[in-house]
Amino acid sequence: MSNIIKIDPVTRIEGHARILLECDDDGAVSNASFCVNELRGFERILVGMEAATMPQVTARICGVCPTAHHLVAAKALDNAAGVEPPPAAKLLREFMYMGHFIHSHSLSLFVLAGPDLVFGLADTADSHNIVGMVNAAPELTKKGLRLRSLGQKINETIGGRGIHPVTAVAGGISFKLSDGQFTRLQELTAEAVQVVHELAGKTKALLFALLDKNPVLLEQLNSPSWYLGTVQGGKLNVYDGMLRPMDSSGLVQPEFAATAYREMMSERAVQNSYAKEVFLNMNGAEQMYRVGPLARINVADAMETPLAQKEFEVFKEKFGTPCHNAVLQMYAKLIELVYTCEKADEIINNPALRGETRVPADFRGGVGIAHIEAPRGTLIHEYDIDERGIVRAANMIIATQQNTAAINNSLKEGANNLLKESNDEAMLNSLEFIVRCYDPCLACSTHAIGRMALDVEVSRQGKIIRTLRRDTDA
Amino acid sequence: MSGEKVRLNTEWLCDCGGCHVAVVDLHEKILKVFEDIEFQKCPVLTDVKGYPEADIGILTGSIRTEHDRHAALEMRRTCKTIIAFGTCAVYGGLHGAGLAHSREEIMDYVYKSTPTTKTSFVPDTDVTGLEHTVLPVDEVIDVDLYLPGCPPHAHYIFESLAALVDGRETKAGQESVCAGCSRVMKKTDVASIKDTLDEVPDDETCFLSQGYICLGSVTLDRCLAPCPNHGIMCTGCAGPTMQILAEPNHDIRTEISDRMSRLTAIKSDAIINHIERSAKTHYAYAMATRMIGNKPTFLIHKWIADVEAGK
Repeated sequence: MSNIIKIDPVTRIEGHARILLECDDDGAVSNASFCVNELRGFERILVGMEAATMPQVTARICGVCPTAHHLVAAKALDNAAGVEPPPAAKLLREFMYMGHFIHSHSLSLFVLAGPDLVFGLADTADSHNIVGMVNAAPELTKKGLRLRSLGQKINETIGGRGIHPVTAVAGGISFKLSDGQFTRLQELTAEAVQVVHELAGKTKALLFALLDKNPVLLEQLNSPSWYLGTVQGGKLNVYDGMLRPMDSSGLVQPEFAATAYREMMSERAVQNSYAKEVFLNMNGAEQMYRVGPLARINVADAMETPLAQKEFEVFKEKFGTPCHNAVLQMYAKLIELVYTCEKADEIINNPALRGETRVPADFRGGVGIAHIEAPRGTLIHEYDIDERGIVRAANMIIATQQNTAAINNSLKEGANNLLKESNDEAMLNSLEFIVRCYDPCLACSTHAIGRMALDVEVSRQGKIIRTLRRDTDA
Repeated sequence: MSGEKVRLNTEWLCDCGGCHVAVVDLHEKILKVFEDIEFQKCPVLTDVKGYPEADIGILTGSIRTEHDRHAALEMRRTCKTIIAFGTCAVYGGLHGAGLAHSREEIMDYVYKSTPTTKTSFVPDTDVTGLEHTVLPVDEVIDVDLYLPGCPPHAHYIFESLAALVDGRETKAGQESVCAGCSRVMKKTDVASIKDTLDEVPDDETCFLSQGYICLGSVTLDRCLAPCPNHGIMCTGCAGPTMQILAEPNHDIRTEISDRMSRLTAIKSDAIINHIERSAKTHYAYAMATRMIGNKPTFLIHKWIADVEAGK
């Protein structure tokens, strides 16, 4: 009988999560699973609802990335109706999305990863959180929080609300901006570019210092995988474009449109988790792949905006293509943060933004498929709509789900190295860090909390032979 | 309040995390909140894992798993005042629409029926303790205060916390979403229910007057009416008004049909019939609460089954 090590983080990562490690008789880890223990079952719940409400309804799937679900649902309805939203509507949607990215990436980098950057990984003080950061690095923290606020205000102005926006509809956007709003938004984007400019160098310096102090980070967490991201004319895009896969050696594979996702992707349920694993069907096999900022930087040829392009070149020169190292997700995120600030500023000053924002769209009897790059990776929605406009079937491929197989693989490798160590604390820290590097949805929360409280049980033939516990209660 | 800070615990159950992001979205105002309130346990801001004694406990999300049930009980045990925060905690929320289906039906669909799923087994529910249905928080513990909204607008979050800290009644009223809507209600001769698939509504007239089903008049304002003010009909995400909750024979259908039939030339029966046919959309956020579910005229399972059968 195999031994099972069970790790229960009390905190949540996209719902409730834990880690299970199965050992064979030699003590080697034969299987590792990062388990998601919460299920709401949206795909079933959506069946029978009016398809027109999908953009509002599906935003509620995630309070951390609602705008990604909101916009991809609207794009899927456009696709089902066979309409192209007018240019102003496309720009407004993309602009809303830039605001969302600025909010999400700032939250992740400054509020959540911030304590690691400012205090280092070894720090275990109670002040290892955002409040401690305000005292230790007031300038960085305040600017980081301000940038998040600017992003959320942009999102709210266009989306009607910041969390769970409502204005993207089949055929465009449901309202027009007033002149006063234009002026105000131009001020916000100009400030965002200014702030991100000030923050980028400082943040990068902190990240490189972290890597210098922890050289083991660059040696570990290098499991090769395939990557998937979105490009438009080869340049990184988060709102729209073609899906571009890259194999584990860095060879770019043929691009495909989201409408081909059924042929290109396979989902597989696993016994101990509600999150299915996803694989790319390419080269005659099911390929394990990753999505998210690092994947997008890996597959892209270049960035659209100047400052982001400069950072992109530094990244490529230092870390090459593909960069398999999960720790560098943070740098990739910083490049995207710079890009989305610059892009927001570009869009709001585009005169085409002032045109018509909505065309009629009738999607009854249609099937709609669309994708978008959520902050944490590729997101796909599909709706089959009946003659009354009611959802007949729904399917979704969620970002975090696509990284599950890679997370499990890294955990297995990491745990195998770690099991030889007798130091409980080192094992707990490292396993937690592996999960966090992949930034599963709401890992942000896990991180904000500082270190996960973990229970580890090592069993042999049904009997617990070793217990590791770390309780971070005050 | 002077001297000691008010101690606050927050905990999230089955939800999207948006209610906790909403607290962060107090933006600059959060610094004012920090002055008066000590955040103890709070999944987004602090590193406290257990359940310390607290004056106020904010619970977001509904009960979906054994873990949620346990967390709610622990919060009740340690907090003097419990606030059910957000529509999921108060009414079950959008995934409360899972009420319309058995746990097995949901699992079979997600793991066996979607086109990209190549496996045909369902993960082990024993491990996770998934409950049979979605429950609002007050089905499991006593709740002192309710703040619905999906999420509640920062204005209401700040006002509620400030009122609690100051020990006064909250100024949050019982107006419907209409109170914050700038559209003009007027009598029209519209003769049939309209759909945004056929035409785009105008920006100035009340949706009901134009023949579009809008839930603004039957929904509690905890949002400041962003939807109707941005060209979108209210979908009722903050849950029903007191009028609907308190009256056994009033519900979303009867109230909307009554109002809309007076504003237009559309017959009341036609409106009721239309809402029943799209019941899963219109009762999405609040169907899991007994206050709606126990109404003698509420036949949600039948309405949904009829629609799915193509009737």
